[in-house]
Amino acid sequence: MSWLFLSVAIVFEITVALAAGLAQGFTRVGWTVVTLISGGIAAYFPSLALLTFDVGVGYALWTSIAGVGIVVLGALFFGQRLAWRKAVGIAVVIGGVVGLQLCGAA
Amino acid sequence: MSTASTNQPSQHPHAEHQPSGASSWAVLLLAGAFEVGYALSVGGSQGFTVLSWSVVAVVFFLLTLFCLSRALRGIDVGIGYAVWAGIGAVGAAVLGPVFFDEVLTPSRAVWLAVIISGVVWLKVADGHKG
Repeated sequence: MSWLFLSVAIVFEITVALAAGLAQGFTRVGWTVVTLISGGIAAYFPSLALLTFDVGVGYALWTSIAGVGIVVLGALFFGQRLAWRKAVGIAVVIGGVVGLQLCGAA
Repeated sequence: MSTASTNQPSQHPHAEHQPSGASSWAVLLLAGAFEVGYALSVGGSQGFTVLSWSVVAVVFFLLTLFCLSRALRGIDVGIGYAVWAGIGAVGAAVLGPVFFDEVLTPSRAVWLAVIISGVVWLKVADGHKG
């Protein structure tokens, strides 16, 4: 269940990051509204996940997986380059998440 | 690129034409510090059932989001977010055991370090733009 909460949080965390960039320092109303609403949802679900996960572990999972999603989506929709070096970073994050699970922390 | 500069000209006399890289990164570091406070207060709020922690979390949330949004005007979105989250993750992992009944075991610390390294690497991979 805590992984389900975390997954919902990650989806909205990605939305927050992309919308915050488009909000241009909160000067664009539409994207600012999207940022705040997504942020509210992205704030509530980790709090549920953190009832089970330790803060350090839950937070790292939540933000790192979202970070990978943002880089991938930035490449897909915003034309930002997904160089092989970034792919290495993504692989390292995924390796760390798997390792954390195998050692029983997640 | 934004043309109007809203940086503090008195403190940054050279940042006249656009948000400078240096000031954007300073705002990003500030956002990272607020993010650590936010992560810890969300953890302490027990699913937003503890009022005091919840109020603190909302304040940190607004501060970190505002600073991040300002910083992202001068920094690539994926990279800015990675650094911001990296600071938050280190802060939460180190300070979690300080404030709460948590233990940072060696194996857990290693894997957290791997995850955080991966996130920071994403920034290094794009170093020329910073």
